[in-house]
Amino acid sequence: MIWVNWRQHRSQAIACLGVLAALAVYAIVVSTSMRTAFTNDGLPACLARGPATSCENGILSFTNRFGSEVNVAFWSVLLIFPGLLGVIIGAPLIARELEFGTWRLAWSQSVTRTRWLVVKLSLVSGGVIVFGAAITAVITWYRAPMDRLTGHFIPNAYDFEGLVLTAYILCAFGFAVLAGLLIRRSIPAMIAAFVPWLVIRLVIEFVFRSHFLAPLTFVQRCNSPQSCYGGSGLGFIPPITGHIGDWVLGMGGRSTLAALKGHLGNTWVYQPADRFWTFQSIEAGIFVALTAIALGATIWLLHRRAA
Amino acid sequence: MNNDVAAGTAALRADRLGRRYGKVWGLRDCTLEVPPGVIAGLVGPNGAGKTTLLEMIIGLLEPTEGEVSVFGVTSRDRTAARLAQVGYVAQDHPLYRDFSVADMFHFGRAMNPSWDQQLAQERIDALGIPLKRKIKALSGGQRAQVSLTMALAKRARLLVLDEPVSSLDPVARLEFMQELMASAVGTGLTVIISSHVVSELERLCDWLIVLNGGRVQVAGPTDDLLEAHRLLTVPRGTPDAELPGLPIHRSDSERHSTVVVRADPALLVAQQPPGWQADPVGFEPLVMAYLQRRPELAATDDTASTTTEVTR
Repeated sequence: MIWVNWRQHRSQAIACLGVLAALAVYAIVVSTSMRTAFTNDGLPACLARGPATSCENGILSFTNRFGSEVNVAFWSVLLIFPGLLGVIIGAPLIARELEFGTWRLAWSQSVTRTRWLVVKLSLVSGGVIVFGAAITAVITWYRAPMDRLTGHFIPNAYDFEGLVLTAYILCAFGFAVLAGLLIRRSIPAMIAAFVPWLVIRLVIEFVFRSHFLAPLTFVQRCNSPQSCYGGSGLGFIPPITGHIGDWVLGMGGRSTLAALKGHLGNTWVYQPADRFWTFQSIEAGIFVALTAIALGATIWLLHRRAA
Repeated sequence: MNNDVAAGTAALRADRLGRRYGKVWGLRDCTLEVPPGVIAGLVGPNGAGKTTLLEMIIGLLEPTEGEVSVFGVTSRDRTAARLAQVGYVAQDHPLYRDFSVADMFHFGRAMNPSWDQQLAQERIDALGIPLKRKIKALSGGQRAQVSLTMALAKRARLLVLDEPVSSLDPVARLEFMQELMASAVGTGLTVIISSHVVSELERLCDWLIVLNGGRVQVAGPTDDLLEAHRLLTVPRGTPDAELPGLPIHRSDSERHSTVVVRADPALLVAQQPPGWQADPVGFEPLVMAYLQRRPELAATDDTASTTTEVTR
């Protein structure tokens, strides 16, 4: 059974290794120059010495040089990548057998089709997890110098590090396997799986992610109205809380006046940097649960209905 | 096999088997019994329910009602052991296009504990099909042979072939049928082969099942069926009630009617009014008579079930 699945999926596996190799080459080239610049700008020493605010010039020159390369372009292209990868692997898994009539061959051997499917799903999901972990490792290593300045909560880091990238791929894979069984054709199944995946993915990122845990409040005291500068969002290094990696969501939180007790200043709500792994676990958990529902439904449907 | 005969276990037994697709019955009220060791031809036009019946036998399709069992094991028992009892050559010979012949055999070995690699290899060598060739590079006839080889190498006791030659050219048809005969006859293997071309089955089958409109029209040992039917030529206008036996199909010419009847042979010889003629009926005319018979008639009499009980 392992051989059968390897033989059926080896071209996909080789293509995935190709993507991984290309990404690794790109990562090594860019990350090497980034690491050199990081050291040359004196940033490691400066960050180790004291508050990040004192390294302003070094941070500015570094982010000017690498910000666009590492952040913007990267994110917009790679946003859809996990979804595409997942549906390309998932949709043909059953649909191709139905399209080419080979289900009659596959399901009439001395292996029940439930076992056929469970073994196939286990092996291919295993491959997806290994590949997702490898891509995550490459990107995490590649971004490491930048992450020391931006933290891990900005989407460019958060969406490709930790657990979520693998969970995104798995979820698109699960949706596509189910769609392939229901629609019986690979290409329409890819589309039918990709669209809901993208919607869920974006809604969770932009609507729910900041609410995974109740945010903390940071009180900013100012000596004069002029000195009370600062902004929210992820673009500020360091953020208003002064701690790299905190995700400042905006002003508000507890009543500003009550929190300030008559002093001049602002209150901000934020998610602290050390919640990264908790957030990753929550979001990955959501996508893994969706995957489990889709794959569970597939197994149940295939077991129940006769072709 | 001998144990099965002694124990009276049929290779195939269908009991009021039916399958509905939405509101349409693909097969209904199918009661059949096929003993071990026979080569049974399943004949019917396209859409008669042949594939539906065969897929339920294999376990690819769940019956809506009734039951089908192979060597006493019901298809509702969805186990690997049940699947292992039936070798299957599906219509259009589905194989993985980008696999080589050797890969297909590797697949067969991985998916079937009883796989006979030596048999597979020897057959394919004898046919002159290169093991390393990709499936997509094979001719239709070669693909059919690879499918048959895989079904045989599974070492199942029942071999089911669904329209195995309908997509092949005449030469490949002949070769396939010869190969099948050589592999099946005298080995104790039970074979069920479906076709909508009657002439293909005539030399091969010692058991006949005629299916039309989702119902079994007639079934039984070929020789017994031929013996039990006659082609009568009678004056036109002779009422059905005066005919000796059950009229199956009647065609009228200007002065005479020719009627295929089913009756006791002894009775047919005895009752011969002047001007009547009774001839033996051939395999193909017999099948055609049942195919042209209006399907609903089969439901009102019990021809199908009584005929299957004729002992060989």
